[in-house]
Amino acid sequence: MSDTPEIESATETEFARPRSRRGFDGWRWGGRLFLVMMLVYTVVPMAWMLLTSLKTGFAAMQFPPQWWPKEPTLVNYKKLLDPSNSVGQDFLHYLWNSLFVSTTTTLLAVLVAVPAAYAFSRFSFPGRRFLFFAVLLRNMFPAVIFLVPLFILMRMLGLVNTHGSLILTYLTFGLPLAIWLLKGFYDNIPIQLEQAARIDGATRFQAFIYVVMPLSTPGIIATAIYSFIGAWNEYIYAYTFLSKNEQMTLPVGIQRFFSENTTDWPGLMAASFIMSVPVVVLFLVLQRYFVRALTEGAVKH
Amino acid sequence: MSAGSETQTPAIPMQDGLARRIWIHRADYAYVMPAILVMMIVIAYPVWYTVELSFYQTPPSLQLRDKIFNGLDNYKAILTSAVFWKVTWNTVVWTFASTIIAFLLGLGCALALHREFIGRGLLRAVLLIPWVVSAVAASYVWKWLYHSDFGVIGAALVGMGITDKPPNFIDNVHTVLPSLIVVNIWREFSFAMIMLMAGLQTVPDQLLRAARVDGANAWQRFWHITFPHLRGVSMVTVLLLAVSNFNSFIIPWIMTGGGPSNASHIWITHIYELAFGRQRWGVASAYSVLLFLILMVLGYFYVKALSAGDDKRQGA
Repeated sequence: MSDTPEIESATETEFARPRSRRGFDGWRWGGRLFLVMMLVYTVVPMAWMLLTSLKTGFAAMQFPPQWWPKEPTLVNYKKLLDPSNSVGQDFLHYLWNSLFVSTTTTLLAVLVAVPAAYAFSRFSFPGRRFLFFAVLLRNMFPAVIFLVPLFILMRMLGLVNTHGSLILTYLTFGLPLAIWLLKGFYDNIPIQLEQAARIDGATRFQAFIYVVMPLSTPGIIATAIYSFIGAWNEYIYAYTFLSKNEQMTLPVGIQRFFSENTTDWPGLMAASFIMSVPVVVLFLVLQRYFVRALTEGAVKH
Repeated sequence: MSAGSETQTPAIPMQDGLARRIWIHRADYAYVMPAILVMMIVIAYPVWYTVELSFYQTPPSLQLRDKIFNGLDNYKAILTSAVFWKVTWNTVVWTFASTIIAFLLGLGCALALHREFIGRGLLRAVLLIPWVVSAVAASYVWKWLYHSDFGVIGAALVGMGITDKPPNFIDNVHTVLPSLIVVNIWREFSFAMIMLMAGLQTVPDQLLRAARVDGANAWQRFWHITFPHLRGVSMVTVLLLAVSNFNSFIIPWIMTGGGPSNASHIWITHIYELAFGRQRWGVASAYSVLLFLILMVLGYFYVKALSAGDDKRQGA
């Protein structure tokens, strides 16, 4: 496999150079084959969800299956999104609840995480390291550990069966990563920028608002997406804290829907699809920020 | 705002006394207080309460005023039960298999996606989708794929002539855990992929070119140059995956509820069932405390790996 030494332009990456003229390149073809396999693994479940959601119940329950729906129908989606029947009514409730809880959580998370991350990045008060890692450690512990006492706590606060209980809880499990992500961003913003602003007469707060905040917008966007997706997909607390139908969020609502209609697979697949759309679209549109922020902390600069 | 609080200014001498240093930095705490306060309410209190409950025999209702102190009986009951060891073994298999395979698949994808080609960005985005899809939705979709009568995987196997009739993936004691692990890996391998893709960008091109000039083959280049540069990010990735796998709940809970005959129960689902299914709050709390102790050990490495990155950044 030893190639002849060649002069390459600096912009060209090591793998980018076409090497096919050297005959069969096992590594390269192996990589391609591997990617195709991973693509199949990733896409088949999603494709089958979509195809099933376009079938009637009868068409879905056949063996061998209809690989392609013979008579595609949108009846499952219509049922879920039609407020005039009880299924649609419930489902739209769930959708609205999920939107409300996720959006509120996201706003609060950004509001709390921004100053905290800034302080962890810039100041050196006693206990800074301890507090920072105490915050990070939160992510280590599973929801179940907190579930019973939190349930009791929420009952004491009168928050059981309210969205407040969910927002408060989601806030805490979203915060550690949010703070970690944002701190990575602040660490990479040169402190000299702020110092220059301060010399020009800005207070620290002004320097923060006018210099640091605009530069950290990508980080804030990433934090917001992360919080939103986390809250949107959360299941275990919602499952435990909410028992009233009209309060439920989508993950719990879908489970309830399924336990009542155990064989309505097309309906369930349609519900799963609708539930996935907002986060997937949000993620695909903003993934640039998201990927960057996630890796900012893990990769040293 | 106190002037001495910036990292650039000379550190305040240690002999100044903690109280004085805290006083000097008093304004800095205002920034972190909201975060700490929320965390305290929702974390410190529950942890303390869980520890307390683990020493009590509790009534089935949540009228916990009637609890009776029973010392270490809850812990004894756990460690002597056969289910405990079964569930522990499942948890070990689940955590290790999911973590290692997801990491290797993510590494493979990161390496294969490292070179530029048309559609690379699109491919990366598609591979990332399972990671953002709700675990509840994913569990139902896979449950449908695995369906014993109408599942598409079973039908495909029959169609290709591998089996006579569709296999029963998740109602079979032997196949249920591997089947669920496949779902779990489906959801998280792309997380390893993006972490490692970012890590790959730190591998210096000159080194790889130099090695090529010296006649190193692709494997040698990977093993001696690329991989050592990925060590830090790999540590963080593996730890984050291990922690999240150890704490998994949704996939086994939705797909099988721990069955058949506990074959897919892992610690978290088991604790949940003990608490909210059988209402044995005391025993469930004792389980949680044991879990907590294990996680503390993992947490030590977690903080160490994360702070290694943090120190490098501070020093840079």
